[in-house]
Amino acid sequence: MLEIKSLSKTFGAGVAAYHALRSVDVTVAEGEFFTLLGPSGCGKTTLLRLIAGFEQPTGGQLVLDGQDIAAIPPSRRPVNTVFQSYALFPHMTVAQNVAFGLEARGTAPGDVARRVDEMLQLVQMDHLRDRKSAALSGGQQQRVALARALAPRPRILLLDEPLSALDLKLRKEMQAELKRLQREMGLTFIFVTHDQDEALTMSDRIAVMEGGRLQQVATPRDLYDHPANRFVAGFIGETNFLPGRAAEGQLRLDGFAPVALAEAKAVNGAVTVMIRPEHIIVGREAPDCVQTSGQIDELVFFGTDTHVKLTLPGGASLTARAQNSLHSATDLNPGQTVPLSLPYDALRILPDEAAHAV
Amino acid sequence: MLSEASNGEALLRRAETRRRWSLAMPALIVIALFSILPLAVMVVYSFLTPGTYGNVVWQFSLDGWFSVVFERDLFDDTLGLADAHLSILGRSALLALATTGLTMLFGLPTAWFIATRPVATRAYWMFLITVPFWTNLLVRTIAIQEVIRADGTINRLLLGLGVIDAPIQMMFTNGAVLLGMTYVYLPLMVLPVYAAIEKFDFRLAEAAYDLHASRFYCLRRVIFPLIRPGIVAGSILVFIPALGAYVTPRLMGGGRAMMWGNLIDLQFGQGRNWPLGAALSVSLTLLVMIALVLSVRRFAGGGRSDV
Ligand SMILES: Nc1ncnc2c1ncn2[C@@H]1O[C@H](COP(=O)(O)OP(=O)(O)OP(=O)(O)O)[C@@H](O)[C@H]1O
Ligand SMILES: [Mg+2]
Repeated sequence: MLEIKSLSKTFGAGVAAYHALRSVDVTVAEGEFFTLLGPSGCGKTTLLRLIAGFEQPTGGQLVLDGQDIAAIPPSRRPVNTVFQSYALFPHMTVAQNVAFGLEARGTAPGDVARRVDEMLQLVQMDHLRDRKSAALSGGQQQRVALARALAPRPRILLLDEPLSALDLKLRKEMQAELKRLQREMGLTFIFVTHDQDEALTMSDRIAVMEGGRLQQVATPRDLYDHPANRFVAGFIGETNFLPGRAAEGQLRLDGFAPVALAEAKAVNGAVTVMIRPEHIIVGREAPDCVQTSGQIDELVFFGTDTHVKLTLPGGASLTARAQNSLHSATDLNPGQTVPLSLPYDALRILPDEAAHAV
Repeated sequence: MLSEASNGEALLRRAETRRRWSLAMPALIVIALFSILPLAVMVVYSFLTPGTYGNVVWQFSLDGWFSVVFERDLFDDTLGLADAHLSILGRSALLALATTGLTMLFGLPTAWFIATRPVATRAYWMFLITVPFWTNLLVRTIAIQEVIRADGTINRLLLGLGVIDAPIQMMFTNGAVLLGMTYVYLPLMVLPVYAAIEKFDFRLAEAAYDLHASRFYCLRRVIFPLIRPGIVAGSILVFIPALGAYVTPRLMGGGRAMMWGNLIDLQFGQGRNWPLGAALSVSLTLLVMIALVLSVRRFAGGGRSDV
């Protein structure tokens, strides 16, 4: 179990100071696939480097299994890293790369050989064991980097965007394989990505970061269904935002009649309401919905579904997603005005920070 | 049809070859004129007979080559090994090796230091390293003479401090030659090693630490093997000119600590034995070539993956 306690990191000092991490608090459980997700420059790599020991925190604590690891140098921390650039040793063969971490710790040669065999089989690189690592494809390098980091049996494996250099097909394959390995070994993974699909499909829990802060830590499902704020809602999946007001358990979307909503009880005043495109019912009126209509601006065909870009009577724009089932009820055409239904239980009220900012 | 096509192809290929040769011509002429021709002259001269006032007589003789290794006793005409030549060769090789070792000892940390400075200040450090190159070799050597002379900087300093009573004799010793050559050839070691370290990806060192390597283990298994080509290049660049060094041994070693280069000079000058001088030069060239081929086979092939 890794406890990250109000961890902060500031690069530089005075006016040039840059706060890469601001009081990050989170606990990563044993055997968890924990993902750090966020836009470029939000501090994901910095957090990983602090855990690996390449950087010293400017504040807070890192506690691994009850022990503060701040003073332990990287070479003696029971964590290993799969680097974004792989950082394989180019003058060594695949097998020598995998053996490195074991040999550096003085493991007996027989045990090293056994463990290297085991690791190479695990990542299916046994047939290329004597190839120089510089002469491998991207996917192969990725596997070797993984085997090398796993060989010394780390307590936690850190992975910094390990799949970002691979093409889409290979990336999908490796995603599945990484997930399988992690589940089979029961090892704790801390995985960095800025690809939301990757995060959603692989993780047990996701921490969404922005500007050096954790915005929300939750399971993929919770993150998608109940984002804590506008940033998370906008970063994960596609979303429509509508302005509104909440008062006394009633939600009033601007331009619509008030709706009684359990969620509205906790808030008062201006709010932002979120609704996912796939929850909007296009072309018919449905019960328990906010009823409105929209003029179709554009239709984008995506295979399984069609994205419908609409303009509401008030001028706000909205994106809906209509499933392309075999018996689609209506034929949609640009320019047409269609009825829209927004189900009450698909409406999410977000604290209205953005509205103040504008 | 088919043969026509291949015929055209062959014509094209021939034209291409001709074009390449004509493009390379200027360089080939320069190499032939200034590198191969003088060497050929040396080889030819080494098989001729010495003239009375230097120069050569056009008469075939193996005496030049013979006297590289053997000498005829003046009194009883018996054959013996040319001890003087062999000991000079031995000294030259040892001094060149020691020079290479010392430039490595001082050059490696220097190169490391420069390569790990911020990019903006590296050029400044490199400038300082190359400044001596802009100064004439003679001037540089005389400057270092000034430091170690009997009444030079070091002796005066030590005398003034009362550490010694009489000046230490440092000039005209092997140590003096070594000091001079190390000073003169240091930049030749620093430059290629610096280039190798600068190219080194320090994320690899980070990966090594992450994989439980100590600093020394990382240096030995990761950093050193990857900058080794630079060290080999630097060693070759220092060793070869050091082996044939002439000016520095002459000024720092005087007549006592003579090196192969000075021996050659002697034959063309006072010795008036041009064929011997030519044979000595050619044998030095051969030795260097053999050493070079061996070291390239050993180190630069990159065939070995471990240390
Ligand atoms: N050594 C450093 N000195 C100064 N600033 C740094 C240093 N390392 C990182 N930063 C800054 O800290 C911020 C966070 O960097 P970090 O590498 O953690 O981002 P990231 O989330 O990994 O981004 P990406 O997705 O692009 O890899 C960046 O703005 C970066 O410029
Ligand atoms: Mg990063």
